[in-house]
Amino acid sequence: MSAPGRAAFLALGAILIALPAPAQTRQLELGLESFAYESATTPLNRENALGLDAHPGLGRLAVGWRETHGSFRAVFRGYVEQTWGTPGDETEWVVRQGYAQYWWGEKVGVRVGKQRIAWGSGLAWNPTNRLEPPKNALNTTLEQEGALAARLDWVPAAWASVVLVGATTDATPRDLPLATPEAERRDSAAVRARFVLKDTDVALVASGGKNQRTLLGLDLGRDLGWAAVHAEAAVYEGAEMFPPRDDTLFFRVVAGALRTSGENAFALEYFYNGEGYSDAGAERWLAGLDQVWTAATNPSLPPELQQQALAAYAAGASIPYAWGLGLRRHYLHASWTRGGATSAWTGAVRTVLGFDDGAVALTPGVGWAPRGNVTLNLDAVLLFGPEESEYRLAPVRGALQARLKVLF
Amino acid sequence: MSSRPAGVLLVALAAPSLAQAPDAATILRRADRAVLGETAAYTLRMTVVRPNKRERVVEMKGWKKGDDQGLVRYTSPAKERGTAYLRSGESTWLYLPSAEKVVRVGARQNFGGGDFSNADIFRLSLIRDYDPTLAGEEMAEGQACYKLELKAKDRSIAYDRVVYWVRGDGTFYPVRADYYTLSGKRLKSLVLSQVKPLGGRTRPTLLTMESRVDEGSRTRLEFLTIQDDARLDDRLFSPGALERGE
Repeated sequence: MSAPGRAAFLALGAILIALPAPAQTRQLELGLESFAYESATTPLNRENALGLDAHPGLGRLAVGWRETHGSFRAVFRGYVEQTWGTPGDETEWVVRQGYAQYWWGEKVGVRVGKQRIAWGSGLAWNPTNRLEPPKNALNTTLEQEGALAARLDWVPAAWASVVLVGATTDATPRDLPLATPEAERRDSAAVRARFVLKDTDVALVASGGKNQRTLLGLDLGRDLGWAAVHAEAAVYEGAEMFPPRDDTLFFRVVAGALRTSGENAFALEYFYNGEGYSDAGAERWLAGLDQVWTAATNPSLPPELQQQALAAYAAGASIPYAWGLGLRRHYLHASWTRGGATSAWTGAVRTVLGFDDGAVALTPGVGWAPRGNVTLNLDAVLLFGPEESEYRLAPVRGALQARLKVLF
Repeated sequence: MSSRPAGVLLVALAAPSLAQAPDAATILRRADRAVLGETAAYTLRMTVVRPNKRERVVEMKGWKKGDDQGLVRYTSPAKERGTAYLRSGESTWLYLPSAEKVVRVGARQNFGGGDFSNADIFRLSLIRDYDPTLAGEEMAEGQACYKLELKAKDRSIAYDRVVYWVRGDGTFYPVRADYYTLSGKRLKSLVLSQVKPLGGRTRPTLLTMESRVDEGSRTRLEFLTIQDDARLDDRLFSPGALERGE
């Protein structure tokens, strides 16, 4: 964020705190987030090419503000972040959301600004929502950045609604102690029509745009009594992940179930990622990384060529952390959470299994709310599996994520 | 003269007369509207009591339209503000403000971690799901009541059988309900009390649900404000409206 932008950020914060308003129309939130990692030398971080310290990390001071006056609402959420233990340690200012919204009765609403679109019934993956950076499947409770968008909601009947969105973003998935590759700007237009038909949620999605795949999606949800089940599927042309496969149609689907019993909630979700690498594709990718790394470290090559090879290595190694929804094809997400609105303590264990290569990510977490307006969450991310499995290839062995929120 | 025959006589005179009692369906219909009207906007406080744990309190505002549509949004504590439940027909959804996401949940699942299920909260009316039979008169919670036996109309209903006591003094205020499973096990009991003027008429304003499975566990729902006959758009009860948040 530019210096004028940072000044505006601080000025806005001061104004918001100073402005008088009835308590029920304004919500203020201050937060501290700290993520600590254990770095590792892996095929994606050969000889510590990323230059990470043993324990890099980041810290954030976050602010949230929400103002509601009748049908009008304004929201701002952002943070200032400092990284450490990385070559490019820096202070960064990020706006997660900043929008204004107005509804005319219950029929029509408009929202303009940086916002979360957040549609799709999938719990860990949303194949039909490619308008904004994807969720972190290893910890779905982490707050994500939105896209700059204009959104129109039309609710012609209680059983039907239509959403039109025009969005642009160049944001990349965050929360990692390494610079993700600069993303090309994606300009998207999307429409989502949602219906409730015989107690079944049915949504149809179409989206496309510049640097954006043309996508058709279907989203279903229903309560079966013993659990609520959902399925979200998308078909689109052209791969989002290297190598380019522009004339190929790809299919993604998630299907899952959510069951709650008392204070316990159990969720299970399978994800098929059609454009993910097969075993042969993963081998080719790793072999390609080997080749460019060899070139990058070959003293007999001119420095310019070494640099080019190093850049190619960096680009190839960052593929799993770009805009895709996963490196491979078959995943399973399972979670158990305990605790509800009336609990001081909440616990959770989440796991993602990669069936193609035996990758396992385990994310146990605990939350504590000592008061009704204070929450502290602590999550650990632990990565297991064979050495060349997706999560073991990551340049971090694990992470500890702490988040404190105070609401006013 | 012994006072006992006189006391029995007084009780007999005070108890509703079966011969004059309205039919079971009428009693149930009247009782269903005793707390909330056909449409209503309200605020309430839910207190969850668990053995050896501090009481936890949640406040919320709600809207209902008929027996099929209901929306509840948490207003307190601050960490839960914005969380919302929506019921429409047989479907129930939960809105999570932290994720800005609407998730489908089951009607039988617990509401907010308390002893009320989602179905209990959103379907205070029983006439739609149960066939009532008048089973006589009894004292319940110190009040002379009609006793109704309610049998679930189909097996998808959360409770196979409900025993329901309704005041027989012409007010038709529900007093108590015992909920049973298909196997005959009593799951929980609801007591309606604290009858007082609220929102322009007198009605029970405190609902206490006690678990019969977990000793000492109970949840209190206290209506703080009620506005009957609120004009509510059907679209308020749609997932689309839920998605936009508070």
